[in-house]
Amino acid sequence: MIVKDWCMYCGECAGVCPKNLIEVKEITLIFDDKDCKECNTCVKACPISALEKG
Amino acid sequence: MIKTDVLVIGSGPAGSSAAKHAALGGADVILIDKKSEIGAPKRCAEGVSKGGLENLGIKPNPRWVTKELDGVRLVSPNGTNVWMTSDEIKLPEAGYILERKVFDKHMAMDAARAGAEIRVKTLAKGMKKDKDSYIVTCEHMEDLFEIKAKIIIAADGPESRVARWAGLKTATKAKNMESGIQFEMCGVEMEKQDVIEFYFGSVAPGGYAWIFPKGEDIANVGLAVIALDTDKTAYQHLIEFVENCPATQNAQAVELNVGGDPVGGMPKKIYGDNLLVVGDAAGQVNPLTGGGIISGMTGGMHAGIVAAEAIVEEDYSEKKLKQYDKNVREDIGDEIDKYLKVKDYALSLSDEELDSVAKAFQDIEFKKVSTTELVKSLVKVSPKALLKLGKLI
Repeated sequence: MIVKDWCMYCGECAGVCPKNLIEVKEITLIFDDKDCKECNTCVKACPISALEKG
Repeated sequence: MIKTDVLVIGSGPAGSSAAKHAALGGADVILIDKKSEIGAPKRCAEGVSKGGLENLGIKPNPRWVTKELDGVRLVSPNGTNVWMTSDEIKLPEAGYILERKVFDKHMAMDAARAGAEIRVKTLAKGMKKDKDSYIVTCEHMEDLFEIKAKIIIAADGPESRVARWAGLKTATKAKNMESGIQFEMCGVEMEKQDVIEFYFGSVAPGGYAWIFPKGEDIANVGLAVIALDTDKTAYQHLIEFVENCPATQNAQAVELNVGGDPVGGMPKKIYGDNLLVVGDAAGQVNPLTGGGIISGMTGGMHAGIVAAEAIVEEDYSEKKLKQYDKNVREDIGDEIDKYLKVKDYALSLSDEELDSVAKAFQDIEFKKVSTTELVKSLVKVSPKALLKLGKLI
């Protein structure tokens, strides 16, 4: 997953990730990519289009 | 390894309320928050009811109240207004607009004064069960360390990761997650300075747009959408709203806020052995308004009280902690279920139907502003509403 540098770390993506793979730090977003099934739920949920499939 | 009775993860209003009440009950409490500043950035329109604060025993403080409200304005898609203010009715919605950055810190300070130990910029990274306790791996700057707690109170907001580490199903489905976005603006020209405004219809698919006044010409101008209900991003909807709304033609943004708001009600299970879940993490949000400050703090209070009792009785089992579930559902569960039905109905209405409801509302004399009163009036003016919501009143 590509995190654009305008991400605001609100964590909405982490809340909808069905597999709980997204860690939201204060100003860092970390995806556990190896278990990601690319369901795209996080990409669609982002209020400011800051996520893109890698 | 650090040991404590109760570890609260997340210091929003719900977590701080839980920490305060657990500490007042005599438990050793640690309250962690991943951010360097509790309360910032805000992810909230900052509205709260007076009665709600009063029930929680919290006295309004001028340091965190920005505006006392006098009523509500509802605006339908074609611009039909329904005013519910003290000019029109005896008991307008009594509420405040807060300064969350200050309010949240004050709630954490209340927890600290009750005896809780606060650790900021401390992230929970994972958690494992260890006999009758949990061990949480935490990160503070470059240090990784563990906290062992008899009871974990998960208050980690819409992310709700902590409860899922323990096997609870607290993820929010995409259809129940509001994507919220908001500008704090100056130069906002509202028709009435102390009225909260709600705009309905395709302006915000799956949600609504709002203008919440913060004193002088300042207001939170925002909206929430269900991402699945629209092809645009929440941000695009906000830009369009601000371009078209008469009140914001000369307004300037000084802040942009984003965040998710879970509006699907409480998950079936919000407790387990050595674990309680509170606030947004537990769906303790009014699904109709999206408001969650009071309901989250109420959840936090019940969790803190039960956690302290469990520590005294040395019983941290699911069976004991179920008492929290019982208390919180008795207190706010029915309301959340009721508002969930009203929300589903309201979102089923087309722009034209919303306009005709607004028009019919203009001839109704409201005695007070409350959701129940609104539903009663809705049922009066709409046969479709009577069919769907008649049982609720």
